[in-house]
Parts: sequence; C-alpha cells; structure tokens
Amino acid sequence: MSKAKTQQPAVIHKVIMVGSGGVGKSALTLQFMYDEFVEDYEPTKADSYRKKVVLDGEEVQIDILDTAGQEDYAAIRDNYFRSGEGFLCVFSIKEQESFQATQDFREQILRVKNDENIPFLLVGNMVDLADQRQVSVEEATKRAQEWKVSYVETSAKTRANVDKVFYDLLRYIGKYKLTPAGRKALSQNATNSSNHPETTGCSCVAM
Amino acid sequence: MTDGLARILSKPTYESEQFVAKLSANGEDALLEMKSKIHMLNDETAQALKKNVFKNYSQFIETAREISILEGEMYQLSHMLSDQKSEMTKMMELSLVSDRAIIQGLKGEEEEKTNPEEENRRNLAFLLEKVEGCSSVVDAPGRQLVHDGDLVELDAETHAQIQRVHAFLLNDSLMIATWIPHRRGPMRYRFQGLYELDGLAVVNVRDTGPVKNGFKILNFPESHMYQTDTAKAKRQWLDALEDTKKKKALRDKQKKEAAMRLAEQQLQAALASPGEADLSKSFTDDKEESVDRDYLSADWLQELPEDLDMYIAQRNFEGAVDLVEKGYDYLTDCPKGPALKEFKARIEHRVKQLTDGLMNELQVSPERSLRGGPRAARRAVTQLIRLGKSAQACELFLRNRSAIIKYNIRQLKFEGATTLYIRCLCGVFYSSLSDTAKEFIKAFPGHYGCYSAFVIWAKQELQSFVSIFKRQVFESKASLSTIADCVLLARGHCQELSTIGLDIEFCLDALLDISIQNVIEETKDQLIEGIKYRAHDDVWRPMNHLTQADCDKYIADVATTGYDLTPYIFDKCFIAITMNSIQFSKVIVTFAEDLLKLHSSEQEDSSADVITTVFKAQITHIEHSLQSEQLKKEHVLILKNAQFLLEVVMDKIKTLYTKYNVPFPVKLQHLSSHYRKLKASK
Ligand SMILES: Nc1nc2c(ncn2[C@@H]2O[C@H](COP(=O)(O)OP(=O)(O)OP(=O)(O)O)[C@@H](O)[C@H]2O)c(=O)[nH]1
Ligand SMILES: [Mg+2]
Repeated sequence: MSKAKTQQPAVIHKVIMVGSGGVGKSALTLQFMYDEFVEDYEPTKADSYRKKVVLDGEEVQIDILDTAGQEDYAAIRDNYFRSGEGFLCVFSIKEQESFQATQDFREQILRVKNDENIPFLLVGNMVDLADQRQVSVEEATKRAQEWKVSYVETSAKTRANVDKVFYDLLRYIGKYKLTPAGRKALSQNATNSSNHPETTGCSCVAM
Repeated sequence: MTDGLARILSKPTYESEQFVAKLSANGEDALLEMKSKIHMLNDETAQALKKNVFKNYSQFIETAREISILEGEMYQLSHMLSDQKSEMTKMMELSLVSDRAIIQGLKGEEEEKTNPEEENRRNLAFLLEKVEGCSSVVDAPGRQLVHDGDLVELDAETHAQIQRVHAFLLNDSLMIATWIPHRRGPMRYRFQGLYELDGLAVVNVRDTGPVKNGFKILNFPESHMYQTDTAKAKRQWLDALEDTKKKKALRDKQKKEAAMRLAEQQLQAALASPGEADLSKSFTDDKEESVDRDYLSADWLQELPEDLDMYIAQRNFEGAVDLVEKGYDYLTDCPKGPALKEFKARIEHRVKQLTDGLMNELQVSPERSLRGGPRAARRAVTQLIRLGKSAQACELFLRNRSAIIKYNIRQLKFEGATTLYIRCLCGVFYSSLSDTAKEFIKAFPGHYGCYSAFVIWAKQELQSFVSIFKRQVFESKASLSTIADCVLLARGHCQELSTIGLDIEFCLDALLDISIQNVIEETKDQLIEGIKYRAHDDVWRPMNHLTQADCDKYIADVATTGYDLTPYIFDKCFIAITMNSIQFSKVIVTFAEDLLKLHSSEQEDSSADVITTVFKAQITHIEHSLQSEQLKKEHVLILKNAQFLLEVVMDKIKTLYTKYNVPFPVKLQHLSSHYRKLKASK
C-alpha cells in the first residue's frame, strides 16, 4: 500500500467536462494537464485528474472529471454532475449538432445543481479548423448571453485558450464558493465521502 | 531309530538296490524289523505332512484375512485422500481472491443464463462465512458473485487512507465490507453497504498525484474512492464493473419489455384490476436484532460451524450430526431475527456438505470395493436418517445393495451342471436379498415409507435374477426335469424369505410362467412325436428275455422304477408288456412328476391337459392297433398292455399327485376308465 501524502492544498475545485462525443473534452483536459495533444480518438468513460495550480497567487487543486459524450444512462450522468462545482460545456465549432446538444447538457446541469449561477463556461473547440466552421461566433455568443455565461473558443491542438477556460472557470468557482447562494448550492449537492451507508443508509439497497 | 532310517533314505547317494541287497543279507528277522520300521516311518511322515498342511493352511487363512483387511484400509486411505483433495479444492474456491470469479464474470451471457439457481446460491453461500451481516444480500434469488477483491478506501477529497475493505461485485450490485482487525476465525469482514449498479457512476482516477491505482464510485450523495494494489487489479475492477453494469441494463431492459408486453396483454384482456402496491418491509427492527445476536453469542455455538468443518474433514460423521442436532435444538428457542437467519444459513450450508459426504459413502463407484456388506453402509444411512434424508438414504442404500448383488453374481463361475450353478446362483441371490431385508429393517426402523421402496427394489432385483435364471435354465436346452429342479430351488428360497416377511414367490411364478408353459409345450410335442415314431413300427411282440435268470433280472430292474411286472410273465422268460409300453410308462411318469414339481396353482389345469394329451397319443396307438387286421392275433397282448398303461401306470401317476398334494384331475380319471371301454368293445 502506497502512503498518500496529505499535505495538499486545502482548496479543491471540481470541474466537469461535458459535451457530445468527439468534441475534444479529453483533448482539452490532456492539453491542460500534460501539455500534449492526442490525435487518436478514444471515447472516454469517466476519468478524473488532479492538478496543483497557482490561481492569482494562491495554490489550489483542480479536480477534473472528464465524462463520456456518449453516456447512455441519464441516472448515471446525474451522479457525475452532482459531484461538480463548475462545468466546461464543450462543443465543436465544426459540428452544429454538438452545439445543439449543449442545450440539453445545460438543462441537465441546472436540474441537478438547481442553481442558475453555477460556474459554467460555453466552450467552442477546434477553432484551428475554422475553415470547417458550422457554428458562428454570433450564435454561440448569443446562447451564452441567454445563459448569462461566457463563451470562449479554444483549440486543444494549438493550445489556444486552453489555460484560459480552466483558469476562468476556477475563478468563477472560487468566487461562487464565497457567495451565500453558492455555499448553499454546493453544500446541498456536495458529495460527502464521510457519509457512510450505515449512517445515511437511504441509498443502500434494502432487501 | 526311524530318524536314522529317514536319514539313510533321504541321502542323495541312496541306492535302493544296494540297500535292499545289504538288508536281505541279514536274514528274515532283520527284514521284518526293517519292514516295521518303514511302516512307522511312513505313519510319521503322513502325520507330519498332515500337520504341515494344517499349519500352512491356518497361516494361509490368516494371510488371506490380513490381505483383505489391508485392502480395506488401502481403500479407506484412498477415499480419505480423495476427500481431502476435494476439501482442498473447495477451500480454494472459497478463497476470497479467487481467479475463478473473474473468469466467470467475463463469461458470456448465455453461460450465466444456463447456470442453475442452486449454483448461484452456493456461489454466495460462502459470503456468510466471511462477511458478518450479509444474509439479506445472499438471500436474493439469482444473485451471483462476479468479482471480488481487497481494496483500500480513501477519502475522496484528500485521498487520505480511511480503511481496508473488501468489495464484492455481484451481478446486480456492489457490496462493500469493512475489514475487521484482530478477529479469530473466518469472519473477517463486516457488511458496510450494498449499491445497486443502476445508478452507480464509476470514475477512473488517473495517476496524476501521489495516489496510484484509484477509482471512485459515485452514488449520490455518497462518493467513495478506492485503491487497488496493482494497475492490473484496477483494470479488472473497471472492466468488471462496466461489463456487469451493461449486462444488468440489458437484463432490466428485457424484463421491462416483457413486463410491458404482459401489461398490454392484460389491458387487452380488459381484466386489469388495480394492483396493490407491494409494501415490502424495508427496515429491520433493531431491538429484535440485538436480542437474537445475544442469543447466538454462546461460545460453543459460535465455534459450531468450524467444528462441523473439522468433523466433516475427519469423516467423523456421527460427531458432525450430533453437533448439528445440538445446534438446531438450541436454535429452536432463539428469537427470530436476521442474525439467526444468517447463522442458520451457515449451518445449512454445512449440513449440505455433510449430506453430500454421507451420500458419497453410499455411492457405488467402480474403484470402490464392494466387500463391505450391508453393515458398512448402515453407518452412513443412520446419519442420513438423522439429518432427515431418509428417502435419499434409502435409495442409495438399495442402489448400493444392487451393485453388491450384481458383483457377487458375476463372481460365480458357470461350470458343471446347470442345477449346480443355479444352486449357487440362488444361494448368492437369496442370501443377499435376505441380508438386505434384515439390514434394511435395522437401518430404517419405523420408516415405513421406505419399506415400499424396498419391496419395489426387491421386485426389480428379482426380475434381473430371473433373467439370468432364464438364460441359464431355459435357453440351455436343459431337460424338463432339470428345469423343474431349478425352479423348485428358486421357489424354496422364496419360501424361506417369506419367513422374514418378504413374499415374492408369486412374483417369481409370474415371471417364470410363460417360459415354463413354453417348455412344457415343447416337451409335450417331443413326447408325442416319440410316441408316434415308436407306434409306427410297433409289431406288438412280448419281450423275450431268453432265460428265466435274465427275465428275473429285468423284472428287478424295472421294479426299481416302481413297476411290478411279475403278473405279466409267461413261459418263464416272456413278458407280456412290450418294450414300447415300458418306455412310455417311464416317460409319462417322469413327465408327470416334472409337471407336478413345476406345479403352481395357476398351472394346474394345463398340466392335467398335457398329461392327458400325451397319454391319449399312446392310447390312440393302442386303439389303432386293435382295429388293425394284421394285428388281430395280438389282441390279447394289446389289451394286456392297455390294462397296464391305463390301470397300473395311471395308478402310479395318481400316487404322484397324492405325493405332491395335488388333487388328481378329472380328465385323467376319465382316461383311466377307458380300459373298460376297450375291453368291452372287443
Ligand atoms: N484539429 C483538432 N482536433 C481536435 C481538437 N480537439 C480534439 N480533437 C480531435 O478530435 C477527436 C476527439 O477528441 P476527444 O477529446 O477524444 O473527444 P471527447 O470529447 O473527449 O469525446 P468523448 O470522450 O467520446 O466524449 C480526437 O481525435 C482529437 O484528436 C482540436 O481542437 N483541434
Ligand atoms: Mg473523451
């Protein structure tokens, strides 16, 4: 058994990557984590990453949950979303369908988190392939304004705006956690690892 | 003195001629003395020889006995070894980190479906041994273990270690059990939680920080993080979880579709009645639970499952059953609760093992010696009855006995006369049967339900016995007399059996009836054939013995068969009865006697019929002869013969009937009066 060092930064911000399959959630995550671009497409199931970052002079930990674009079961997706404190909702600018799908993701997140102000960024990826663009900046920006969130265009390949979307989201989360509404929303939904079934019991299968 | 002589005689250089020459030179006295010496020597040698034979014989017997004991011990030893081997493989299967479970988990859906329910139960029964408080998990029907392994639970936030756990992936849920430190015995875990796979979200935690091989289980509002020892183990867990979740989803979908179809059908049938909500009890009474837990905490009771294991391994079946009875006795007063249920399940699991072991004792297998006799099986039977498995015990016991009978019969060598073989066959079969009957009554006292099974068994055994019997007796073209003797032998044994309350004689008769009828028919036809043949060249000559001495000798000869021919002598050496008549008289009497031996109430009529038919054939010959012109001169002689056959011979048959205690048939009576008609007609 390897001993885990526990002197990690106390603050952990939990980010969830959502969006249709193949839009570049994993590519963005890996670019952010390891500064590398992966050409091969391998559909994700659910991977989590942790990284220490310095945010405005303060050391925090970012916990990224990279989800599957093709998760079939809404109930399971709920379980993933519940554990998030901020969301990067990714679509591919060269795929209109993926842009339309962001609407569904947004709705599901709001239903699960139950707060319109949950930290959230609309991310239009693959901007390096702007010649194949199907989603205009205008329509994306319009939707972001409707949702009262920011819209950022990125490229996992060129690393354009990759750090920006993560750092921006981390800042939102940091701020959000300080507001009474945010505290409330997150404490309601926060997953709690010390909650053992014998004390809560309600999710155990009662036979 | 004789010793010296013996030495001389047994010298390698001994020359008999020289010795005798030397001896005879000394005159008569010396010779006589020598003769008596040699006599003595002869006697002594014979004595010594006898002694030696006897000495060696007893040694031989002893050695044979020892060999058979040794054989028994070797058999026991091999049996114990094979038992231990199976015990060991069983333990391997029970091992928590068994590879089998993983392979099983990856097997196709088909496989899973064909697995019998029983297998599933067994698959999970061992959990009761390992995990305290998991009986409700094990009880769910259709549940199966897919994968399991040791994990370390980490804090999902800080990744700090919390505790050691053991996780069991079942086909519909994930059970987590915490490790109990410093616990004696096999109970190493305590049930912590059971998560349905439906909503379970699994996260692969990439090795980014100091913590390696982690994965998370999210099930709102809980989130747990676990760590495996190796990357491979983590991969197995993730694969198994995903695979199992998929299969479960598929199953649920199919179930739902089936349910929808059913609902549709019901709707269509317009019979839909508002179903009552299933109000299943979803929580247990805590107070009650603690009560039965206290009750179960007695030291000896806690150790009972392990003690049982030990007894079973040692093949101390009596001890094991004693313990089971004691345990059950104690538990009858225990307040009902989940802990009791769980404990009972643990005992039942072992009772099943014990039963299997005992049944195995009675199983007939080719490598097993069958010399044990019925008493050897009684031990296992007694214990099985105590465990309430009398039906199985009965079946196995009887099957065991069948094998022994078969074996013993096969040991018989078929040589010599049919009757001799049948005597041996009957001896073996009936003594086995009566042994079994006596043993059965001892082994199953008061279990009257089993007695009918025994009777059916006895009938079946009799059937296979009869088929051997038939093959040897009827198909070997033996004479009717031999057949009659054999049947008599078998019947006699049946009658002996009825003294212990088992009456199977009527079964034997029923089984033999057709064969007997056939052979009687055949014999009858042969006899008639013979009569016709002899009639053809019968010239009705009196027997001429040429001299009175020869004639007297012949008369004496015939007298031994029970006929007095003296009244038929004329001219000193002539007998008025022809050779043909004498021959017939012998044949018909033997035939009658055979039939009477074979007699059983069902055959009475036909026996009278066949005797009459054969007799009539001869009489017809006489009638024809009387009508013949050429034989006119012989009328007196023919009538004398007719008188002999119809009065003397018939009388003899009549005494046979009396001897066998069978009423003399009317038909034969009619026939005997025929002579008067013949005489009158002339
Ligand atoms: N040119 C270009 N290719 C990209 C970019 N981002 C991702 N890709 C490629 O698109 C494919 C899919 O990317 P992923 O990151 O695996 O997609 P994803 O959103 O994680 O998909 P799922 O895991 O199935 O939900 C991969 O072949 C990537 O190399 C980008 O910004 N530019
Ligand atoms: Mg991905």
